[in-house]
Amino acid sequence: MAKDVLKAFASLKLTVVLLVLSMLLIFAGTLAQVESGVWTVVDQYFRSAIVRVDFQIFVPRSIARIPGAIILPGGALIGAMLFVNLVAAHVSRFKYRLKNAGIIVVHLGILLLIVGEFVTGIAAREGRMTILEGESSNYAEDIRSCELAVIDQSDSQDDFVVVVPQRLLSHDSATISNGLLPFEVRVDQWMGNSRIERVSQPDASMSTAFAQMFRAIPLPPANGVDGGTVDVPSAYITLIDSGHELGRYLVSVHVNQPQQVRVNGRRYLIQLRFARDYKPYRIELIDFRHDKFVGTETPRNFSSQIRLIDPERGVDRETIIKMNHPLRYAGETLYQASYKPDNSGTVLQVVRNPGWLIPYISCTMVAVGMLFHFGRRLSSRGVSRS
Amino acid sequence: MNTTQRMVYFACVAISLVLIASWLWPHSSAGTGLNLENVASMPVSDDGRVKPLDTVARSSLLLLSGKQSVKVDGRRVEAIEWLLEVFARSQNAITMRVFRIDHPDVKAQLGLDDARNTFSYGELMPSVSEISRQASLANQITPKKRDPYQRQMLLLHRRLFVFNSLAALSKPYVVPPRSIGSGEWAPVTSAQGDTVTEQFKALIAGFQARDHATLELTAAIWRAEIDSRQPGLLSKASKEVWFNRARLFPLASGLYVLVFLYGSIGFIFSESSGGWGLALRRAATSVGLLALVVHTVGLAMRIYLQGRPPVTNLYSSAVFIGWACVPIGMMMDKRTSVPLGLVASSVIAFATLIVAHNLGGSGDTMQMMQAVLDSNFWLATHVVVITIGYSTTFLAGILGLAFVLLGVFTKRLEGAKGQALGRSIYGVVCFATLLSFVGTVLGGIWADQSWGRFWGWDPKENGAALIVVMNLIILHARWGGMIRQRGIAVLAIAGNIVTAWSWFGTNMLGVGLHSYGFTDSAVFWISVFILSQLVMIGIGLLPMRLWRSGTMQRAVAASTA
Repeated sequence: MAKDVLKAFASLKLTVVLLVLSMLLIFAGTLAQVESGVWTVVDQYFRSAIVRVDFQIFVPRSIARIPGAIILPGGALIGAMLFVNLVAAHVSRFKYRLKNAGIIVVHLGILLLIVGEFVTGIAAREGRMTILEGESSNYAEDIRSCELAVIDQSDSQDDFVVVVPQRLLSHDSATISNGLLPFEVRVDQWMGNSRIERVSQPDASMSTAFAQMFRAIPLPPANGVDGGTVDVPSAYITLIDSGHELGRYLVSVHVNQPQQVRVNGRRYLIQLRFARDYKPYRIELIDFRHDKFVGTETPRNFSSQIRLIDPERGVDRETIIKMNHPLRYAGETLYQASYKPDNSGTVLQVVRNPGWLIPYISCTMVAVGMLFHFGRRLSSRGVSRS
Repeated sequence: MNTTQRMVYFACVAISLVLIASWLWPHSSAGTGLNLENVASMPVSDDGRVKPLDTVARSSLLLLSGKQSVKVDGRRVEAIEWLLEVFARSQNAITMRVFRIDHPDVKAQLGLDDARNTFSYGELMPSVSEISRQASLANQITPKKRDPYQRQMLLLHRRLFVFNSLAALSKPYVVPPRSIGSGEWAPVTSAQGDTVTEQFKALIAGFQARDHATLELTAAIWRAEIDSRQPGLLSKASKEVWFNRARLFPLASGLYVLVFLYGSIGFIFSESSGGWGLALRRAATSVGLLALVVHTVGLAMRIYLQGRPPVTNLYSSAVFIGWACVPIGMMMDKRTSVPLGLVASSVIAFATLIVAHNLGGSGDTMQMMQAVLDSNFWLATHVVVITIGYSTTFLAGILGLAFVLLGVFTKRLEGAKGQALGRSIYGVVCFATLLSFVGTVLGGIWADQSWGRFWGWDPKENGAALIVVMNLIILHARWGGMIRQRGIAVLAIAGNIVTAWSWFGTNMLGVGLHSYGFTDSAVFWISVFILSQLVMIGIGLLPMRLWRSGTMQRAVAASTA
């Protein structure tokens, strides 16, 4: 009985079925990117157990509207099944001889690659560090989630900051209270993506001058098609101190400056901002260069001349980060990602991926294994023919 | 070889030699009677690259009209002559019909004659403000949502802009830096008083007056000045002019047609009396080598002129895919009893060169690289390997087509021959799996190196992965005994669809880092290609009793039993 199960899991028919399913999934997951952002697609299609694929993605909306959908196994499920299939095949079916050495190495490499993608999916973190020339920064922002920061600056040495993560904020009429917060926060309206516009009539019901002059308008999730590629959340919130309302506020990631709130005579700052990940090191931007090819708008090179400061490790050195030339430091890698519109500052991508080396190893294994396997087969056939 | 064979062989090779000689023979254009040789090879800087004026003229005219020369009263005016007319802002420049407009609604909106599709600057002048208005309306729409009318208006607006920039002498940058490494090139408009500016203006005046002596003299002074400031540029620029005129890739595609004809006819009549079929096949191999030489020289010239590995954009990938197939096909033919490798690769080489020719229709094909792609190491490894992966997957697919066509319609694949062809396809699929996998993963490593993400599920990455998975399906289905020779052939044809979609289709989506330039007609042609492959798959699935080479499968069954 157990043998039969093992045999079924080890079958080449299952392999082919899984490969065909993964083709369908990749094809659908590519077409889906026309309408949805790449991160939405990655989560829905490639890192999920099952996915609902709308038939609409196969035909542009401008040609026809098509209802209906099909359920496919998602990337995580197919990956796991392929993993099981491969392991089972080697347990039950493969004969460990030199003849098979190549294919075994190839399969080990593939297993490693699947493991690597899981490690990346679970453990990798990436953020963006924006630094203006002459200034420095010690945190990266996660542009895929935000947080509401409540800052108490009453201490002359350190700020006391409490942050409320997006998952607590992101539904209307949520109320957040915590001993660390000086007040309760009630979310009146949450906007996962938004734009800000000036109003013609100041809204007196709002508590700050900013909220009276501007309003936020909800937008559909950014998909890279209609302009933006990043969701910029905003929210209308009411702050409540022991039962009575302190006022209504508009907080938005669009706004760089925190807003003031007074509670019992004490001053706090509140700000909705991209979630911050503080680093043990600090990067100072000395100079940002953006060269173009003469007479064109085609970028030739971006480079950031930076100073890396890490008092704990006794590091204080200068280096250059540019395209195809990242800085690897303290288990993290810093890439030249973008720049401020007027070249006044740089945007670095900061990535921590404990599994980054896995693809290098697995690729080498697969390539060597395939060369060995196909090389042997093809050359032996050539010999027998002549 | 016997006498018949020798005669057939030499006649076939002679045809190709005549083709090459007549193609490369310098033909003089009657034209103005002026010698523009020295002017054509003058180095200038345009779109960030130093190139001869000849290239600027050709790519500008291509952008405007889709052609590299213009017909005026039945006389062919070369691009360089047209460019000088534009520089001179002469009456000729205003009356030459160089603006191509196809969309009937655009013509109607601008009050143009619907029966024509090329128009002169003079004819467009009254509509300039309307074109600007329409273009700015279209500009408010995101690029993916623009309709053909809006795209045509924007294109026309851009064409007018290029024409005006040339006429205003703000493009190209003619004045070189004083010495190597000192500053940048400048347009004549911002380098007044410079020797080069003076000579340039005098040369244009001389051209307009059809004054031969002035033209010669100013060109000579100009050239001497460039040579003293930037030694080495002159000789490189004249090589590029030679390359422009030789048009090696169209020549190679012509030769590949001969290779296909000789090779396929030779194969079908390989058992002919007198052995002329065999002679034809030998001729195919010889002409194939000639075509490969021409193709290689063209690629090598591009690598030299651009200082880059062979594949830098969609155009050059098309040139390269065909090139890589040919030697692989030739090597295959040495070790099989069904030598169709060269025939199949000549089909791919011809088709991809036609694709390249059409992709090259929008200007200079040697653009500068975006900063993110500026890495010769990765261009030379990832891009080259993945492109050969495309080549080999196509090669397997075309062999699959040959299997279906020869099997259904001829008796050429009876018995062991069908088996041998199936084995060839299998071998190519193995090779394709290796290359496409390694190429894809190298791309992941490049991505990890340059923006910290090994795999981002970007459409182009997914396309590459699909090719790998397609090849894996063929191999595993074969190993599991789910398919035999015919199954391999049919799935290999499906590989054509996957590869075409990965190479081109992903660019149609217009999302992601890899989506470089694309045109409407390509969408049409890729659909035609995919449909044709589906039809072939349908034919390949016909019951075996309808195959003329039906005994093949019995032989297979017998051999595997």
